[in-house]
Amino acid sequence: MTELWVKNACVIDPIRGINGEIMDIAIRDGRIVESVSDRADVIDAQRCLTLPGGIDSHTHVSGTKVNFGRYMSPEDMRAGRTKRKGKMHVTSGYYVPTTFGNSYRYSAMGYTTLLEGAMAPLEARHTHEEFTATPHQDMMANTLFDGNWAVMDAVREKDVRKTAAVVAWTLKAARGYGIKLTNPGGTEAWGWGEDLTGIHDMVPHFAVTPAEIITTMIRANELLKLPHSVHLHCNNLGKPGNYQTTLETFELVPDLNAARQTLYATHVQFHAYGGGTWKNICSKAEEITRSVNSKPQIVMDMGQIMFGRTMTMTADGPMEFNLHCLHNNKWSNHDVELETGSGIIPVTYSKKSAVNCIMWAIGLELALLTKNPYQCLLETDNPNGAPFVKYPEVIGLLMSKRYRDEECATLAAGVEQRTSLCALEREMDWHDIAVMTRAGQAKALGIGSQGKGHLGVGAEADIAIYPIRTDSVDPAREYRKVVEGFQKTRYTIKRGRVVSRDGEIIVDGANATFWVDAKVPEDLKMENDPEFIKRFEQFYTVRMSNYPVQDVYLPRGRRIETEVFT
Amino acid sequence: MRVILESKVRAKPNLPIEAEAIIPRNFLKGTDLVVYEGNKERTLSELFWIFVEGTAVAPENIEVILKGDTSRIKRVGEYMDTGSIVIEGDIGMHCGNFMSGGTIEIRGNADSWLGREMRGGTILCRGNAGHYCATGYRGEKKGMQGGKVEVSGNTGDFCAEYLAGGTVHIHGSAGDFPGVEMRGGELIIEGDATRPCGNMKSGTCVILGTVHDMLPTFEKIERRVLPAWKITADVYRGDVANRGKGTLCVRC
Ligand SMILES: [Zn+2]
Repeated sequence: MTELWVKNACVIDPIRGINGEIMDIAIRDGRIVESVSDRADVIDAQRCLTLPGGIDSHTHVSGTKVNFGRYMSPEDMRAGRTKRKGKMHVTSGYYVPTTFGNSYRYSAMGYTTLLEGAMAPLEARHTHEEFTATPHQDMMANTLFDGNWAVMDAVREKDVRKTAAVVAWTLKAARGYGIKLTNPGGTEAWGWGEDLTGIHDMVPHFAVTPAEIITTMIRANELLKLPHSVHLHCNNLGKPGNYQTTLETFELVPDLNAARQTLYATHVQFHAYGGGTWKNICSKAEEITRSVNSKPQIVMDMGQIMFGRTMTMTADGPMEFNLHCLHNNKWSNHDVELETGSGIIPVTYSKKSAVNCIMWAIGLELALLTKNPYQCLLETDNPNGAPFVKYPEVIGLLMSKRYRDEECATLAAGVEQRTSLCALEREMDWHDIAVMTRAGQAKALGIGSQGKGHLGVGAEADIAIYPIRTDSVDPAREYRKVVEGFQKTRYTIKRGRVVSRDGEIIVDGANATFWVDAKVPEDLKMENDPEFIKRFEQFYTVRMSNYPVQDVYLPRGRRIETEVFT
Repeated sequence: MRVILESKVRAKPNLPIEAEAIIPRNFLKGTDLVVYEGNKERTLSELFWIFVEGTAVAPENIEVILKGDTSRIKRVGEYMDTGSIVIEGDIGMHCGNFMSGGTIEIRGNADSWLGREMRGGTILCRGNAGHYCATGYRGEKKGMQGGKVEVSGNTGDFCAEYLAGGTVHIHGSAGDFPGVEMRGGELIIEGDATRPCGNMKSGTCVILGTVHDMLPTFEKIERRVLPAWKITADVYRGDVANRGKGTLCVRC
């Protein structure tokens, strides 16, 4: 039995309605309890800001795509080098660091749970192997279904139950967590040499539209009672004028779940562009947020970009090809058999580029214009918009109008005319930030019941104590202190153990991987479906029996079982 | 001031020595420098006989001379900005990395990565140079950006890869893929070359010898006399496969 007693903590725990109370937290064997014995270890938080461990609901840190980003940028391995020290492995890399680099840096920032944004089921083993080498965070994997042949066949037949059955089988085989749709239908179309321009275009050879894929998958998701909603990267990412597609997509979403959203729209900054060309691109954040503010069934994340060099990686292969034509720099492209694809290119977001400045402003506008912080979460689509180590700066920008104005003054012209950022007075408070970095994520991912994202009795003891005194720091003026404070916790506690202290990692760590075992009725088990088996054996390069990820890949797998539907 | 470093006989002469400390500026404060032999830290005097002649008040007046078996000494002259280094024999890999000023003369052969990511100054190699002479580093968009590298003998493969500025002059032949990914600068090969300048974006390459396996993605513009080299050359533009606008001149 191990016990820990955190006293004098200034706790903000939005899920339990606690906002800045000075209180003590008792921990036994990794869980929060009512009280502990007097033999417990004691941490004096000295009235510092104490939050549930951070949760990233959309990041790219593991898997073949991320790893190919590493292959492609050996120059990045010259940055971010740290030596082996105590329990810490060597690390290197800045925007695509080693797995340990990711894990340690997230941990230093108080993050204890991550959702990998895109895992191709066929390549799930690699993702899970990298999960075990990201030891300080519990992991989950969004599983890609955007070009899944069996799903598209079921969608064409308008068969929600069959769609759900394919999803359930694939999630279990890949040990995935939820449904990810990246440019649904678009990547598959591109594999046939065509491009989709909107959600009502037909995917060649499958006779389905992105809109049909999205709506059917939403219904299948809710039929299966998955903890997370459909997680969507909308069509037409990064194209001027694409906000129309985004709004049309939001209009498709019914409100089907009382406990959480019905659609999680990721990195919406990349989907909120007006204009028709790169020359007249402008912000449509007001239109997007007006839609989201009236639709509680939608949660989005910012997809904030920050200036500097980074790597873009997505299952949206055609989009990356277009970007490659623009930049004429190195590029990789990948097709994943019957499932999806991907593309990777490096980018540098520059303050001299009006387009980049407008993108930067749009991300902030989205957050500031969304009334309910539970509906716009803080992410950069790491590393697409910026490496996650920039989150503290994003927090600073959201909390301080002065910081935003000072940044705006250094930017290329365009932000003032083509976005509304300069006119926005809103300054977020500590509670908003706590929602946007953990409580909102826990709710959106449906892991509150797994003891994530709050500090109630029974919760997992994942806690971040930041060297910030909310009673003496004025974030609007002293935004530097806010940024610094969020860069390095005084203590990061993971499942009841201090894993990181003042930015230094002090234990090896042992994470868990959450995956969903969605139950289906006996007659819908894909492993017994002759047609499914036939097509699998015909078209995949692997045998169906070799496809599922073995348990050995998940040394600490945590299975979440759903109720069987009828 | 002249600093003479004569290598001592080592028990394991093949163990590489990492000697980025050997640059003229560092000898202004004495000879108490640290280098690595394999993974062991050594003082300079453990590996070299050190002779100092005269004094210097400024680093530009310091000349460092390496004698003896120096073929396994790596990174000599890394980040060098002034003064001079003379290597009487062969030198190991990565000599003159990131060099921005001063001169390095190698009287023997140089191993691979000579003058990698060089910014300025002059490197003169009297013998042959290895692979990746005057190039960049893996993945980096710009290689050598300034200064001059002159090799009297031949070079290995990928000479002047990612060259972005400065001059690379090879009196002998270059191996496979010289001038690949060139962004700028000037590459002169007096001898032969194989498959030069693939994916070249900009800059000029002149080849006086024979080109083997000329890439088909270069567009012939004209035939012209090059007075500087006293030759008539076919002038190509490319690499057109990737929107390149470099100039490749091949003697005809
Ligand atoms: Zn993403």
